[in-house]
Parts: sequence; structure tokens; C-alpha cells
Amino acid sequence: MRRIYAYFISLLFFLTAAELIAQDTIFYPLKIRAGFDLVGPGIYIYDNDHLSLEGYVSFDKSEKMSFVFEGGYVDYYYSQYNYDYHSNGFFGRAGIDFNFLKPEISKGRYWAGLGLRYGLSIYDNETPMYDQDNYWGTFTSSIPLSSGTGHFIEVTPGFRTELLRNLSLGWTVRLKLLISGGGGKDLKPIYLPGYGNGGKNATLGISYYISWNIAYKTKRVITKPVVVEEPEETEEEGVVRQTIGNM
Amino acid sequence: MKRPVPFFLALIVAYFSAIIVSCTPGACFEETNAFLKASFYLDSSKEQVAPDSISLSGLGQTDKIYNKAAGVQPALFPLNASTGSSTFIIRINGVYDTIEFSYSNFPHLISKECGYSVFHTLETPVFSQNNIDTILIMNRNITTVNEENIRIFY
Repeated sequence: MRRIYAYFISLLFFLTAAELIAQDTIFYPLKIRAGFDLVGPGIYIYDNDHLSLEGYVSFDKSEKMSFVFEGGYVDYYYSQYNYDYHSNGFFGRAGIDFNFLKPEISKGRYWAGLGLRYGLSIYDNETPMYDQDNYWGTFTSSIPLSSGTGHFIEVTPGFRTELLRNLSLGWTVRLKLLISGGGGKDLKPIYLPGYGNGGKNATLGISYYISWNIAYKTKRVITKPVVVEEPEETEEEGVVRQTIGNM
Repeated sequence: MKRPVPFFLALIVAYFSAIIVSCTPGACFEETNAFLKASFYLDSSKEQVAPDSISLSGLGQTDKIYNKAAGVQPALFPLNASTGSSTFIIRINGVYDTIEFSYSNFPHLISKECGYSVFHTLETPVFSQNNIDTILIMNRNITTVNEENIRIFY
């Protein structure tokens, strides 16, 4: 009878041991962020004809995904030997950031991933002077102020790290694709706020953000489960039986 | 982060690279003049044949666009963007004719690097018929694209 009990106890122990899984969990801070771009002011120091101010807010939906809203203002002058140009306006972008880092590496402090954005630009532009030389001489004219609306999408890979408590620094490359720039086929905007050169179907940009962030919620995230090694069947049974045998 | 200093340096390098790249100007490599492109056809055979000799100048201009040039096909007529018409004196194989083109003008952005060009929409031309028999309009839009606008039968 004892042996029967011992058998069932050992069998129960074996089955239980086989299903034992230890789950690693971390407490991941979901954050709200607000920041501004440093590239625009940097360019303005170098080139006073190009003012670009841009900021963003984002909040983490999960440890892998964040919602992002960006907005800014651009005042752009350009002049070269055959024309002068002025554009100014506002732009906004909305999209999602995906964090490719594992939660136990990211810990809510580091981000390396990819973002997707839809962008809208509302602007005024004018060409106070342009000229053209040909056989008949130099022709000079102007294009009056007009308003336009542009649409574009972006793919934004990048990095961000928390250097100080609640203060992050990071950059994103911006691969921009123009949906429509406004101005028709003849008078595309030379500079579309938030996008860049409106005469090109694709442009490249970069943003370099400094941002403040704060956790609004802590989420318990299960990291990769660790399976406890199964005890070897024969040894376990043998030990039990031997113990019983000695009783 | 195990090595924050190199990462921080990378951020700084990326920052200044972005500013430098953003401020680099480009050069213009595109055609910026919208010429009226005219092909020459023999009226007798209706075949495309360049004249043996062609001279072309604008009315009131001293410079010639072509001067006894051979093998010109097509001929490029520069239109005056300051006005709505341009008159040319054309000499085909030693015989003079005049052609007056009327058109409307509108600006077109070539590119940021090149600036603007004036494109035209062609109306019906008026011409003398000393050597020219007929002028056919093939494409009224006069742009920088290399497309035939008119055919001159001589």
C-alpha cells in the first residue's frame, strides 16, 4: 500500500515539475513625452533665412508602441541669381513609433525603432522676383502670394536615450514621400513646411530632439518565460523508491 | 546603456551633419528655356527633311539664331516672354519668310536649383508663303520637354 502511495506521489511530483515555468517580469514605465527639435534652431544660427521650430508630444500605448503628434512653424527665404522666394506656414504630423528594443533592455529609457507619420502642411508662398535670359533679353516678373496645402508621409527610423532623469536626447532620420504639395504642376512650392523641397517626390531630413518625459503608468510586462529544467524521470523515481525501500 | 559617451558623441556628430547637409546648395543641370520646336518637311514628298541652309532671327534683333546652318532638325524658336507674340524672319534655302507666333505665357518652376521658366500656350501662327507652304501645329504646349510643336512644310 505504501508503495502505491509512493508511486502516486512521485507521479504527481513529476507531472507538477514538468509544468513548472518561472515567468520573468519587469515593471515597465509607460511615459508621456514632450520635446523640441534642435536641428531647426541650429540651421537658423547658420542660415538666418531659414527658421524652423518644431516640437512633439507622444505617449506610450504599450512597451512597443507610442502615439506621436508633431507640429511646427517654418519661415523660409531663399534667393539665388535668378529668383527670390518666400514661404511660411504651419505643419503637423501624426503617427506611431515602434520600439524594436526588448522591454528588459529598453526599460522605458531607451528607444531604437521606426516611426510612421502622416504630415499636413498649410502654407503661403510667393516669388517676389524671378528672371530668365534668352535670345530676346532678360525677362523679369513675379508670382504673387498664394496659399497651399500639402500632404506627405514619413518613415522615421531613429534612436533615443535618457541621459538624465526624465530628460532624453535622440534623433530620427526622416524619409519623406510627397503625396501632394499644392500649387499645381507648374508652381510647386520650393519649400513645403515640414516636408522640404516641394519639387521633389522624396526628400530626406533629420530631427534631433531633446525631450522631457514622465511615467503616467507602470505596466507589468512578461519577458521571455524561463522553463525550469525537468527533473530526470528515472532518477527521481529511483530516489523515491529507494527512500521508501529504506523505511 | 553600457557605453553612454560614444552614443552621446554619435548624437552630436549626427546633429552637426544634419545642419551641414541641410544647408548645402545644389547646381542646375536642367534645360530652363522653353523653345518652340519646329520640324521641317518637304511639301512635295511630305517627308521629314532638314533644309540645306537655314537662317533665323527675331524681328528687330541683330543676332541670328541660325546663320546658314545645315542639317537643323528641329529648329528651336525662342519666344519672347515679355510679350504675347514673337515674329521671326526665316530664310530656308535662300528664300525669306516671316512667321508670327502668338501665345500666352505662364511661369513654371523647373527646380529649386534652376528657378523658373516661362512656358507658353501656342495660338495659330501667321506666316508668309514664299517658300513655306503650310505650318501644322502638333503640340500647343511649349515647354522644356523635347516635343515637336509645329511642322513646317516647305
